[in-house]
Amino acid sequence: MAAEGKAIDPIHQFEIHPIVNFSVGGVDLSFTNSSLFMVIILAAVSILMLWGTSSKSLVPGRLQSAAEMAYEFVASTVRGTAGESGMKFFPLIFSLFMFVFFSNVLGLIPYAYTVTSQIIVTFALAALVILTVLLYGFYKHGTHFLHLFVPSGVSPVLMPFIVLIEVISFVSRPVSLSVRLFANMLAGHITLKVFAGFVTMLLGAGAWAALAPLPLAAIVLLTGFELFVAILQAYVFAILTCVYLNDAIHPGH
Amino acid sequence: MSKHASDGDGPSNEDRELRARLDKLSGALAEQRLDASERQKQETAADVGGETGRALSLGFRVLSEFVAGVVVGGLIGWQLDTWFSTSPLFLIVFLALGTAAGFWNVYRIAAQPTFGQKNKP
Repeated sequence: MAAEGKAIDPIHQFEIHPIVNFSVGGVDLSFTNSSLFMVIILAAVSILMLWGTSSKSLVPGRLQSAAEMAYEFVASTVRGTAGESGMKFFPLIFSLFMFVFFSNVLGLIPYAYTVTSQIIVTFALAALVILTVLLYGFYKHGTHFLHLFVPSGVSPVLMPFIVLIEVISFVSRPVSLSVRLFANMLAGHITLKVFAGFVTMLLGAGAWAALAPLPLAAIVLLTGFELFVAILQAYVFAILTCVYLNDAIHPGH
Repeated sequence: MSKHASDGDGPSNEDRELRARLDKLSGALAEQRLDASERQKQETAADVGGETGRALSLGFRVLSEFVAGVVVGGLIGWQLDTWFSTSPLFLIVFLALGTAAGFWNVYRIAAQPTFGQKNKP
């Protein structure tokens, strides 16, 4: 029973193991399985973009058209959301999109590690976005950027409340951005593992083994759905980055 | 005489040729139209899929933005309470403000239905 309980532990997949132990001044900087998969993601993105753009043929091959599609998709998202002036943030948004996309999709491969299922990773990405918004907003507009929190045409009596609400709403952005991505990936992978656990439990339960194909079929459906969620969340992350950067480019409603 | 004969023969030949070309062209046109309508059907099918995806993503967005507003408000209030030891005054006030911020987030999503619209500068 104990062995069975261990075999179907759905949280086990999110554990971080150090591969190469390494620490500087008491700070643990070990190379973990999470770091390994970040390197794999970077390698995959680099291979796709470098190899895909190396041939530059008029009629694109598979890799070239994948690279071109990725570029055009993100570019049209940026142009449609933040306008032409948002294109100066294209490298940031494209990197974020490709990183999240590849970590979500590669995480679906069995035995792979999903980097975005760790909230510290998604929060680091979200903090990067919000810090960019703040720094660029203050650099470009100075104190005028604070008008983002002061909507026009509000009576002075209500103003303190509105400003507080606006500030809370702004602070909640990195929270919602990181929690959404992390929760979607975590919940999806746990669901898959729980259903896989049902299969093994039913197979070990005598006559009930006849029901085992049902959760197995559910896993097939859920894997397809998880692939959809993985792509969708990468897209949502990119488009919300654009929306927030748009506030920094054009503050004030 | 020979001129007349060639005259009589020429137009009928040309006619036949023209008719053949016309048939070919209209056939190609009909084929293309069929292709186009099929493509359009496929596109609308893809659109329906995309529509569901967009609706799902919008739902996730609304939920997480609302929850994040409430949670951030509650956290700020709780932290202020521990600093000024005024529990639970700030927690209650900021929880209410956070809820309002959550509703404000949701309202802002609902107020601009298309991402294509740009805010006026």
